[in-house]
Amino acid sequence: MCQFGPKVRRQTVFVKLKPPGPSPLRIFGKTCQRVTTCGPACGSAGSGAVAGAARRLASSLQSTSTGSLPDYGKQIVDPYRLLEDDLNGIYEDIRSELERNTNQPELNTIATYYFDGQGKALRPMVAILMARAVNYHVYGENSALLPSQRQVAMISEMIHSASLIHDDVIDQSDFRRGKPSVNVLWNHKKVAMAGDFILAVASMMIARLRSDEVTLVLSQVVTDLVQGEFMQLGSKETENERFAHYLTKTYRKTASLIANSVKAVALLSGADESTSELAFQYGRNLGLSFQLVDDLLDFVSSAQAMGKPTAADLRLGLATAPVLFACEKYPELNPMIMRRFQEAGDVEKAFELVHKSRGLEQTRFLARKHGLEAARLAHELADSPYQKGLIVTTDLVLNRIK
Amino acid sequence: MSFSCLRCVVRYDLVKVCSSSALVTKYLGSSRELSTSSNLRAVAQQNTKPDWNRAVSEAEKIVGYPTSFLSLRWVLSDEIANVALHLRKLVGSNHPLLKTAKNLIYNGKNNMQAWGLIVLLVSKAAGHSPEIPDMEQDKAAGVLHSQRALAEVTEMIRTSHLVHKGLVNMNARQVVPSESDDMLFGNKIALLSGDYLLANSCTELANLRNQELVELMSSAVRDLAEAEFLGDRDEQNNPLPSRPLPHDQREAATEWDCVLSPLPMAGVAGCARREWVARHVLAAGALLGKSCSAALKLAGHKPALQTQGYLFGCHLALAWQAFLDLEAFTGPEPDSFSLVGAPLAFTLEARPTLYSYIEAGKKSVRDVDYHELYKAVVEGNGIEQTKQLQREHINSAREVLDSFPYCDARTALTNIIVAMIP
Repeated sequence: MCQFGPKVRRQTVFVKLKPPGPSPLRIFGKTCQRVTTCGPACGSAGSGAVAGAARRLASSLQSTSTGSLPDYGKQIVDPYRLLEDDLNGIYEDIRSELERNTNQPELNTIATYYFDGQGKALRPMVAILMARAVNYHVYGENSALLPSQRQVAMISEMIHSASLIHDDVIDQSDFRRGKPSVNVLWNHKKVAMAGDFILAVASMMIARLRSDEVTLVLSQVVTDLVQGEFMQLGSKETENERFAHYLTKTYRKTASLIANSVKAVALLSGADESTSELAFQYGRNLGLSFQLVDDLLDFVSSAQAMGKPTAADLRLGLATAPVLFACEKYPELNPMIMRRFQEAGDVEKAFELVHKSRGLEQTRFLARKHGLEAARLAHELADSPYQKGLIVTTDLVLNRIK
Repeated sequence: MSFSCLRCVVRYDLVKVCSSSALVTKYLGSSRELSTSSNLRAVAQQNTKPDWNRAVSEAEKIVGYPTSFLSLRWVLSDEIANVALHLRKLVGSNHPLLKTAKNLIYNGKNNMQAWGLIVLLVSKAAGHSPEIPDMEQDKAAGVLHSQRALAEVTEMIRTSHLVHKGLVNMNARQVVPSESDDMLFGNKIALLSGDYLLANSCTELANLRNQELVELMSSAVRDLAEAEFLGDRDEQNNPLPSRPLPHDQREAATEWDCVLSPLPMAGVAGCARREWVARHVLAAGALLGKSCSAALKLAGHKPALQTQGYLFGCHLALAWQAFLDLEAFTGPEPDSFSLVGAPLAFTLEARPTLYSYIEAGKKSVRDVDYHELYKAVVEGNGIEQTKQLQREHINSAREVLDSFPYCDARTALTNIIVAMIP
């Protein structure tokens, strides 16, 4: 580990795994949000509850990941610490980019609402990690992060937020990231326009990178997001079709953004085709693993933390991996899936059957499979703290709880 | 299959929509939402201006075939088939998306495509640099393939905006519970359809492999979003004019020499003319102007000519808007009209006390006493001032046209402009 140049080493922080400080808290941001939104009593509990929940979750991470990372002994790279300088101010930069692009104060307020620094910034983190890992791979230890690559990190978070804002209107959600969601505070037309606005500003930033390839890669993300959303409207008749449908939808709605933004930073680095394809596949697998865990948490985390089910996806009529797996053992789930859990008692029944089946286990297995594939791909890059960070990230995504 | 599906849905709903148009108006507020709305054909008919239809159809012949916004590729896509299926569920509800969809199909030929048509006519009128390879040209039409793609992007951006504008603000109004599911579902489909068009324009633009162009067109999308925030709004986001300010209380206005940066708002609110121009530059002029400018960029023209293209599109859109604004005051008295139209803006400026009528519409523009405002407009010289405003924009647009070489496309553009003259 001592072969890194002095400059790199200064930024490289190997931390001993310890009870979480402020930085790991961010990693668990999403999980906490789920915890806080599921109970009616959470209003006043506020950040105390969030921190407590995160600590609980984090300590469960501690117990498992020491075992699952034997390669580093007791040491682990915390990617957020590793990239502290790069990620610092990323939300401020996004906010000022948006502010520069409008003279309408209300539009500015809505558009910047979710860029308050409370998100876990997973997408920018992975993009910068990959950028630095690929730069290291191509140019060796004296490579630096290109400004254009940091822009891609910002753009990935902006596209993500624009889609969240439109999702909020579609799903009528009340809370996101521990605060009222945009559609509660402002009227739907304005919220829809604010989403369009963020996308437009992100497109302008993409165009200013002046790379045809990068623009093509990132415009694919927007198409995928919309097509994924359309897929979510319909359901397929047969079980086989249904699982393929689910996986394609998951790729389009979640993995495509991560995969294509890490591909974009690799392209900007000047990496050859095989390296940028490797980056893409890493992002695709990481994204799939991330979403599978997310779908799993919808059944698990809330039951653990609050002692009562939430199953937000079921309530939205969505059959995710745990349900689809549970179908094999309990075919009575099929009609419920077809009617999108609309009848009274459907949600509770499906929830119970999922827990009785091996659906959660199988979902976790599939998530781990994609996580391991991502880690295997990351191993092919030149050895560097950032490459290690990419590997650790696959583990963080997988072990968000338990 | 999906096309016939879509048509049949819309044809069926046509009856419904007509019979329930009053209800639709309830959600849309003023049915004469003008800036980017698609009622040009209706206008042309009411106005008994055969010149207009002729000018447009002649112009379409000149660029080969009608600018096919509803191209087969678009209609046959899975997503649109999906939308058509879901629209069927909405039939019988009052969601304004049905009206938007109807306009897309039935008014398609004459209005929706008019903007794409202008972009193509400007492309043909200006010609292109001789260095452009034959492969990239549509020889028969005299435009480049890339310019045709751009015209399609212009239409898609405009339609997407129109569809997103047609969302219903559910939290603002107490919707009857039985209606609320329909409205929710309609909003979902409207949002997704608009996003689909926006995503497609991103891809189409990326395929043009010209990053300056992507930046310019993205800034037009930004301008459209900004337009929906300018000034006061009722609960359905229908625009209301700002309170007129006396000359000595007005803020100093800044120059508008921006294209990529957003339009400065200093000195806009309270100044009738400037507010009207700002509103419609953002909502219409920016997209048409930037599209014309982009078409010239694709043809390899110099930046100076690209700027002229921008000005042409902007002035044309404003002249068009003034034409639509005047429409309300040429025929019999309408039930309602745009509250941000130029004739009313000038009237309010002349008689600021009338503003109390506007304030009555703070909750919903339907609460405004249109009859009183109509009388005031007709009595004053707001109409005359609007005609003057329109003439200025027409002249500015024609000045640009005169710098193009004489050709059939230029004549067609001139005819379209002349058809608008009151």
